[in-house]
Amino acid sequence: MLLFRSEDEADAWCAARAEPRGEMLSLDTVWALSQAWYGNRLSPSYRGRTLEEARRVFTGVGLNSPFWQS
Amino acid sequence: MNENLTGQDWRIRLYIYQFFVAHGRPPSHDEAAQHLRLDPAEARAAYHRLHDHHTLFLEPGTNAIRMANPLSAVPTDFRVYVGAMAYWANCAWDSLGIPAMLGADARIEATLAHSSEAVSYTVKNGVLQADPFLVHFSLPFARWYDNLLHT
Repeated sequence: MLLFRSEDEADAWCAARAEPRGEMLSLDTVWALSQAWYGNRLSPSYRGRTLEEARRVFTGVGLNSPFWQS
Repeated sequence: MNENLTGQDWRIRLYIYQFFVAHGRPPSHDEAAQHLRLDPAEARAAYHRLHDHHTLFLEPGTNAIRMANPLSAVPTDFRVYVGAMAYWANCAWDSLGIPAMLGADARIEATLAHSSEAVSYTVKNGVLQADPFLVHFSLPFARWYDNLLHT
């Protein structure tokens, strides 16, 4: 996941490399996602997460499109 | 998920993360074996099981840890400073994953993909302070584990 200043920059970068154009998230959304995804990563009880748990993390930060479905 | 990992596998995984956070690099399987009083072959097999279950990612063809998300064992475009420590993050998401995981303030120095501009942003007291950057997720979630180096 790479960092850009604008959608246009991402479009140009993807086109120049024939890379798939996926979804763009604001850094604020990525910070919210980071806290939900990584907040328990150092817990001794961490045991990974199921696909359903991953889906709940995504929907919890407003990521509901098919892109975020398993 | 990960029903095939044993309690010992998870203990080894926790040790890997704790070591990585403390030292800024992942432990070798020999270091893990020594610390946890295991046979090195047993630790090596656990590293590969953890890799097979996407719990960490080994450098292809080796026993060396490349990624223990959000931490990277190799330099990237995302350097994360937390207190006296500095870490490499695997990607833009993981650059914020490190302060999220540590529950700590952080300063991130990053390079924009298209312009190669050097930028920085911070997390302080749980608040992100940054320009309105965008993060590109190239592959849908269903394909994330096809090729982690690409994702």
